[in-house]
Amino acid sequence: MIKVIILGIVFGVILQRSRVNTFDRIGGFAMLKDFTVPKVMLTAIAVSIILLFIEVKLGMAGFHVKALAIGGIVGGGVLFGMGMAILGYCPGTLIVSTGEGALDALIGLIIGIVTGAFFVVVFPHILPFLGPNLGKIQLLPVSTPWKTVTVVVVAISLFWLARKLDTLD
Amino acid sequence: MAKKQMHPLHWAWAGILLGLLNVIIMNTWVSNRPIGASTAFPFAGAMLAGLKDAVYTKLIAKPGLWEIFFLLGALIGAFVSSMVSGDFKLQLVPDRWKKVKGASAGKRIFWVAVGAFLLIFGARMAGGCTSGHILSGFMQLSASSIVFGIVVMISFVITGKLFYRGGKS
Repeated sequence: MIKVIILGIVFGVILQRSRVNTFDRIGGFAMLKDFTVPKVMLTAIAVSIILLFIEVKLGMAGFHVKALAIGGIVGGGVLFGMGMAILGYCPGTLIVSTGEGALDALIGLIIGIVTGAFFVVVFPHILPFLGPNLGKIQLLPVSTPWKTVTVVVVAISLFWLARKLDTLD
Repeated sequence: MAKKQMHPLHWAWAGILLGLLNVIIMNTWVSNRPIGASTAFPFAGAMLAGLKDAVYTKLIAKPGLWEIFFLLGALIGAFVSSMVSGDFKLQLVPDRWKKVKGASAGKRIFWVAVGAFLLIFGARMAGGCTSGHILSGFMQLSASSIVFGIVVMISFVITGKLFYRGGKS
């Protein structure tokens, strides 16, 4: 428990210090005026895709892939994208921004928890609309050399995209 | 807060640290799961509303509790970090919102409510958010997360385009 809180503290400090938690950055991205958020995300994925691949190879971690339930992923993605653009925060940054005094984030956090309870109540009724479930799919080739090539190429492409976005800022 | 603000962390460093943190959390001996935030919302809501025995609450009990502690850490981290850096500021209407949508508190609160509802409901339909799907799913080349990420980006940019249209910024 203490361990998880410490990991959370590190998460909060990284987001707070890079300012990607703020409405000005996330809302700014929705207005296509600020690309700090995608730059940080792309870099984080580029770094972690390589490190995780090595970690799994060394037997120090396993994959935890979420199932591709078409209705839930596509429907949820549409609602989530709309919500994030209007609110200017995502679930994690709602918390981080609340911590630095953003009162609109605090209100969003409370409404988010109420929405969470509402979801718990309606879940049995919306369950049929979340499918069809195609299972836990990873877009990785079977053979190790090709896996390595895929991971390296994806990581380089993502970082290249982040550098490209940097020229727009 | 007349205090001078510290210079923010460079996006590349933020990305590297965030990627590193996610890979550390994935380690079998650390948490054996990726970063995530949105499950905490229905879990907290269910606990507060006395929905302990609902189907969905039982499904999410383990990740829900982990994320509550993780976000508690994030809240502490963000608070301390923003106090030290001089970013801490009690503010209801963000500066960038004011420029485009005006200084009305009621208007901001209304849209925060709409946005937070869509955000959390969407995240729970899809089974993840920016942290659990986009950061953590892309690093595993998970098909569900890549589809979610693409749908979110399209919905986010279109909503941003329509919603912030005609702003003075």
